[in-house]
Amino acid sequence: MTLRLNINQRKGLVGSTLLSLLILAIVGAYYLWGESYQARILYATFVNLLVVVGLQVFMGNAKITSFSHSAFMGIAAYVAAICVTPAAMKAISLPDAPWGLNAFELSPLVSVLLALSITGILGLLTGLFMARLTGVGVTIVSIAILVIVHSIFLHRTDIFKGNQAFFGIPKIFDLPHITILAIAAIFIARLFRESAFGLQLRACADDEIGARAMGVDVYRTRLIAWVIGTLFFATAGIAYAFFLGTISARPFYFNFVFLTVAMLILGGLRSVSGAVIGTLLITIGLEVVRWLETGPDLGIIKMPQMLGLSGLLLGVVIVAVMTFLPNGIMGNREIEEIFKKDPG
Amino acid sequence: MLQIESLKVFHGLIEAVHGIDIKISKGQCVCLLGPNGAGKTSTLSSITGTARATGSVRLDGNDIMALSIEERCKRGIAISPEGRRIFSNLSIQDNMIMGGAIRRDKTRLAQEIEEWISHFPVLGERRNQPAGTLSGGEQQMLAIVRALLSKPRILLLDEPSLGLAPQITARVFEIIRDLKKQEMTILLVEQNVAAAMEVSDYVYVLNNGAISSHGDVGKFGDGSDLMDELMGVHR
Amino acid sequence: MDYVIQQVLNALSFGAEYALIALGLAIVFSIMGLVNFAHGEVIAFGGYSMIVVATLLTGNPWVLMIMVLAACVLIATVLERVAFRTVRGADLTTGLLTAFGVSIILQNLFLLLGSPRPMAATQFIFLDKTLTIGAIRVSSLQIYETVATVVAIIILLTFLRRTTLGIAMRAAALDFEMVRLCGIRANRVIAGAFAMSGLLAGLACIFIMARRGSVSPHMGFDPVLTAFVACVIGGFGSLPGAVLGGFLLGICEVAVQVLLPQSYGGLAQAVVFALVALILIWRPDGILSPAQEKGDKI
Ligand SMILES: Nc1ncnc2c1ncn2[C@@H]1O[C@H](COP(=O)(O)OP(=O)(O)O)[C@@H](O)[C@H]1O
Ligand SMILES: [Mg+2]
Repeated sequence: MTLRLNINQRKGLVGSTLLSLLILAIVGAYYLWGESYQARILYATFVNLLVVVGLQVFMGNAKITSFSHSAFMGIAAYVAAICVTPAAMKAISLPDAPWGLNAFELSPLVSVLLALSITGILGLLTGLFMARLTGVGVTIVSIAILVIVHSIFLHRTDIFKGNQAFFGIPKIFDLPHITILAIAAIFIARLFRESAFGLQLRACADDEIGARAMGVDVYRTRLIAWVIGTLFFATAGIAYAFFLGTISARPFYFNFVFLTVAMLILGGLRSVSGAVIGTLLITIGLEVVRWLETGPDLGIIKMPQMLGLSGLLLGVVIVAVMTFLPNGIMGNREIEEIFKKDPG
Repeated sequence: MLQIESLKVFHGLIEAVHGIDIKISKGQCVCLLGPNGAGKTSTLSSITGTARATGSVRLDGNDIMALSIEERCKRGIAISPEGRRIFSNLSIQDNMIMGGAIRRDKTRLAQEIEEWISHFPVLGERRNQPAGTLSGGEQQMLAIVRALLSKPRILLLDEPSLGLAPQITARVFEIIRDLKKQEMTILLVEQNVAAAMEVSDYVYVLNNGAISSHGDVGKFGDGSDLMDELMGVHR
Repeated sequence: MDYVIQQVLNALSFGAEYALIALGLAIVFSIMGLVNFAHGEVIAFGGYSMIVVATLLTGNPWVLMIMVLAACVLIATVLERVAFRTVRGADLTTGLLTAFGVSIILQNLFLLLGSPRPMAATQFIFLDKTLTIGAIRVSSLQIYETVATVVAIIILLTFLRRTTLGIAMRAAALDFEMVRLCGIRANRVIAGAFAMSGLLAGLACIFIMARRGSVSPHMGFDPVLTAFVACVIGGFGSLPGAVLGGFLLGICEVAVQVLLPQSYGGLAQAVVFALVALILIWRPDGILSPAQEKGDKI
């Protein structure tokens, strides 16, 4: 990417600004009228947004489904958490950790850089294989990565605590940090989409043989997108650990994968705006359903407690989108093109 | 028997055939000639139902455009498709069984399979081997036999001589001639003009999705003008 | 000696279970290109219907077995009708995501209408006894499972070789449109494939229930994930490949348990999946399938 932006990228800046204003409006509304528990929901939403926008970079542009993002997010979360947690705390939470993992502590900045580089390197190594595989191959290997990483989290309880909480992580990030990260992610993903690489990837997705014939290095463009996506997931993982204070292996598995994939396909995986809109819609929908799940008192009728309703809704959204709206809400359009007819 | 009127055929948004009329009477062998990409296969696809089309296709007066692929086969339309498309992973015998899948009279079907096998001993010798091991010519015979085993009222043949050696091509046309003797109604798509004209009663010439000329075979003489037209030679 | 025979039986019975489930996946995939991840929920549905029938009608295990098989066939064909028919002919990813969606819906329905915790259903555990043959002690369930799987595979193969519908199903794996051109209804072939995969799921369900004695909403997910791997190893869509892959995985899993120290038991799944990743990178189409060229078929 050169510093000079092409015309599509300049249009992308407009679109990204619009999306950022949407994000800022939501955050502003929270600071004006929101209640403090909603900060947590908002924070989680923006972590999801980072992941979904990151998914868009590879999945959306290359049109290849991958399920390994939870794994990369988990790796980064654990690396950052282990580095940044004070040694005194780790003596309690990770008493049996090998290799002196519980005997050092790093500054947040160094922890972040370390977590990003380790995840990035893993992304590069896996990407070297992923970029060579065809469509379903990528999906299958990504499932393999997810299962392998999860097994390791569960197996090495001395380092990762498995399904138990790894606690004592200092709270370093708050809502302003994640807001900035989310906005940055939107800009980066959009600029990537409109860059030469993004364009080539999308061309390959539509017609691989044709794109190859035009001299596109499919392998390299896919690899770049894969690694960039991985860094997005890593950032999300770090942000997750730095806010919640505790992490465990459980959230970094299939459920979260489906949640984020549902967000992406509802919005429409071809556009960054779709990723953002899908994330916001599903988050709002799930919050309403979660509230119903607890069996709220609606004044006239007392709703029964209904565990599983949110999951049900998620499944229905996935099936309904695939059946009736395979291109998602936005299709190929970005937010500044919303009044244009979808070119298909 | 088969009447096609203002037929347009589409592949996605592309219109491959732009409103053509074709008529085939019972027992007739009609030949559809045209260069590559003229829309011959598309026309056949609209008759079998595998391509989206508008206009009307009538079999014995009944419009079949709304019918599914399967239903059209049951009404008596059978095809030996372009590229033969035999089931290469199935045995030769099973390919024939697929051809007769819609038949109720299974014992008669079994007899007919035996008859065909005695007609083409190669198919018999290797009846339990995968059909993919057959040579191109043998695969073409199998594709025609498969189509015939459904006891069709009209047989569509899409370039049966494509890629075959001259003797084998002759053999294929021999079969077509035999079928004609048995009063089979045939719509033959070919690029081998001379051989096709020899077996046909009526000729349509398709160019860029439209009929450029048609008439009894006699009208085209020895077909050399036609040949030039199809090869793109202008004099 | 005892130990060796036990481990061999272990491998065979694990492999049999994976092969049964993998075959169900492969049949559907070979015909309509759908990776049916909801297959695990078909198995779980069998388990839940067993509880319903046992509480409402009868606890007779033989009746229950038939009901489980029927329930699995029913739900598999219903799923085809309501969920998968609309994405027929769509690309692989669309089908895969739809299947995942269906899987999530069913899991949560079990959770909503049943219970998030395992529910006991112990009518089949009588199948699991310790047999003493001479000096060797083995589990009867493992023998039943291996034998039943082999019998089921033989019946399935006979069906696919001898009946018109079976032949059509094999043909459809190669060229669906040509099968339709032969006058065989697409819906029949696909419904047949789903019914058959449901039957295999029902059989797997009976054995899973005999071992676990309880049902839970997520009980089908892991077995299907492993069976999916078996399909990948054998070459997706290849039925012999699915069987081979299933048994290979069974052997592999037992080997990992035997060879790795006890404390690494939790990593068996990781090892298996690493193997898959390597196989795919080495041979993207699986072990059994011949290398194929990219591009259109003639
Ligand atoms: N599946 C398809 N998708 C898009 N275009 C097609 C397809 N099949 C045929 N066409 C186009 O339709 C036109 C007619 O093709 P076809 O009927 O195969 O011609 P012919 O059989 O006479 O060689 C050609 O221009 C071809 O490119
Ligand atoms: Mg043609």
